[in-house]
Amino acid sequence: MIGWMSEFAAQGLLVTDENLFIRSCNKWFEKQSEKSERELIGQNLLEVFADLKTRGFDRYYRDALGGQSRILSHRLHKYLLSMPPSTGVATFAQMQQSARISPLFEGDRVVGTITVIEDVTERVAREMELNVQLEERERLLASEQAARELAEENSRLKDEFLASVSHEIRTPLNAINGWTQILLNSDTNAEKFRHALSTIQRNVASQVQIIDDLLDISRIVTGQMRLDLHIVNLADSIENAVNNLRPTINARQIKLIKNIESRPTFIMGDVNRLQQILWNLLSNALKFTPVGGQIEILLREVDGFAEIIVRDNGHGISDDFLPFVFERFRQADGTSKRQHGGLGLGLSIVKNLVEMHGGTITAQSDGKGTGANFTILLPLLIQQDADETVESVNSDLRNTERDFAGVRVLVVDDDADSREMLRYVLEDSRAQILTVGNAREALTQFSIFKPHIVISDLGMPEIDGYDFIRQIRALPSDDGGQIPAIALTGYVSAEEQKRVHSAGFDIHVAKPVDFYKLLEIINNLLRQTDRTGRDER
Amino acid sequence: MTLTDRQTDALGEFINIAFSRTASSLSEITGQRVLLEVPQVEIYPIEEVASNLARFLPGDVASIHQPFDGAIAGDAFLILNYEGAVRLTELLTDNGGVRQQYLDESAREVLTEVGNILLNACLGMFGNVLRVRVNFTVPNLHLESLDELIDSVSKEHDGLRYAIIIYTAFRIRESAVTGYLVLVLSVVSLQRLIEEIERWEERQEQEIHTSQNPAKSDLSV
Repeated sequence: MIGWMSEFAAQGLLVTDENLFIRSCNKWFEKQSEKSERELIGQNLLEVFADLKTRGFDRYYRDALGGQSRILSHRLHKYLLSMPPSTGVATFAQMQQSARISPLFEGDRVVGTITVIEDVTERVAREMELNVQLEERERLLASEQAARELAEENSRLKDEFLASVSHEIRTPLNAINGWTQILLNSDTNAEKFRHALSTIQRNVASQVQIIDDLLDISRIVTGQMRLDLHIVNLADSIENAVNNLRPTINARQIKLIKNIESRPTFIMGDVNRLQQILWNLLSNALKFTPVGGQIEILLREVDGFAEIIVRDNGHGISDDFLPFVFERFRQADGTSKRQHGGLGLGLSIVKNLVEMHGGTITAQSDGKGTGANFTILLPLLIQQDADETVESVNSDLRNTERDFAGVRVLVVDDDADSREMLRYVLEDSRAQILTVGNAREALTQFSIFKPHIVISDLGMPEIDGYDFIRQIRALPSDDGGQIPAIALTGYVSAEEQKRVHSAGFDIHVAKPVDFYKLLEIINNLLRQTDRTGRDER
Repeated sequence: MTLTDRQTDALGEFINIAFSRTASSLSEITGQRVLLEVPQVEIYPIEEVASNLARFLPGDVASIHQPFDGAIAGDAFLILNYEGAVRLTELLTDNGGVRQQYLDESAREVLTEVGNILLNACLGMFGNVLRVRVNFTVPNLHLESLDELIDSVSKEHDGLRYAIIIYTAFRIRESAVTGYLVLVLSVVSLQRLIEEIERWEERQEQEIHTSQNPAKSDLSV
């Protein structure tokens, strides 16, 4: 009926009569079904392939006998006539097929059916693999896309940041430059003089702050930030931070409410860094609260933690900025028209410092204009002894008179301006100063002047500060080998600190020098080494 | 040629039966609940088909084409837009979690079968219910632009042709894929089709009438 073409077909062909008895099938069919001619020809299709009925596929044959052609896709049916899988493709239990059943007509009458079966096992396996690969590629593309977008966003933030930095550094320099020029070029009265100088000082302070912030961030990023841990009373820290900002608080007529528990609250912390944290939060609150507004500071102990809340009734933080408030480089408005200057690093540094102390910080605001509050939790010190010695930040030193009468100080620095400044400051406290411009001369003068304390710059030509102190330390104790020594340094890296100490210095002071701090250090050093008999040497 | 409201209703009802049979067939095969939305039926001369469908079928379309002849002759098409075609395949088959990215051969087979089932249901109804002889073979799947599709259809025949456009949607697993069943017929075939549907409707009404009034039917015997 089908003729010789069917013998060579690459598909299975099977013909039945109108009662579904198999009339003929081709070679492919015989081979693949692994049934002999005798098992097929003349048998009823529904009996040879019994699962046709159980699977409900017999209805397709009935449809065909009713004149309808039917396609059976692989995906929806898997196979029509059960046959063993082709060799070499082990993944399937059956041969995977797509099939077609059509009626055979004689004129208008249906006289039988013809079934065409195609082995699609290989095609299916290939398609599955391809799909998996495609999906993998899409996933990769999506993650690349996301990474790229993140990188671009970061790049944009950094660009904005650099623009900020440039602006923030130049602005105070501008003021410093301008006012010094005025002082140099025109006749000024005492009042203008004072004003110019205080402006200059203010701007220097602001510059130092910016550079410190930048260095802090750099330290944090490179993992070099270190805490100098001691027992700290947070109540004192808060008190000091408030006092520090008192001028601004008063100038802006801010009502400051302190709600601090009367007994001391001890934690393990870095005194200076804690000051930094509190100062940052308070000055932010001040920055964003209008004149006449209110700031509240609360301190209490909760569940083994010290809880500090700084609350203001100013600006507030908008909903879409709130999640980013602690992120580096972020400011609510980073554009050039922004109202509030600064680099947007403060809160990021604060968060890092708080976390380094083992604590947490959260920000909360009900939106613009409703104020904001910042809550810090720091683990309390488990106190054994209530009489632990407490170190607190030095209170306002400006009001303390330093009296170094009879103290001899040797200053070694190759920079004339530096020497001059130190001389003025130290002479003010009645110390006896000798300044020299190089280490060689200092070594010569050492035995003649017999200083009680030595202050030395590190970077000097020929003999630098390190070599200088090593030579001093090599002297016998009676000749001043154990003299207290302070290093003045521009570097403050941890490496550098170690070097300074191992060379023989007792302590280092960073430039630009905070003179009040320097005086305090001198005072402490003198006391430590018990040099009370100043005139005895 | 325009249909009366009554004729349009009758045609709609007729198609509805075919569609619900298709839906149950697909439900049975896939083991999922497949619904075909109640179709909206419209008739246009073939020249107007492109403009009417163009905004729903931009880009490439997948069409499953089944020509038929006999007492009523013409071409039947199931038309989906490309994304819809991919989506429909995805919904109907369980791919083991791997997403269908494009129409590979297996997907095309599935679409052809869907077209086959739908067109069989419609054309089958012509045969069984309308008592009109219609012969048809297995359909073919084509991927091309809508314009190309219509061109190839128009080219084949001369004379005025009409298209019955039936707009529907496949609803599976809370998703919907819209599709168009388009029957292109000559004027003669269309007229014959409408006549037969009207006769079918009358027969329906008579049956309802007799079943509601059994006494009357006894008398008529």
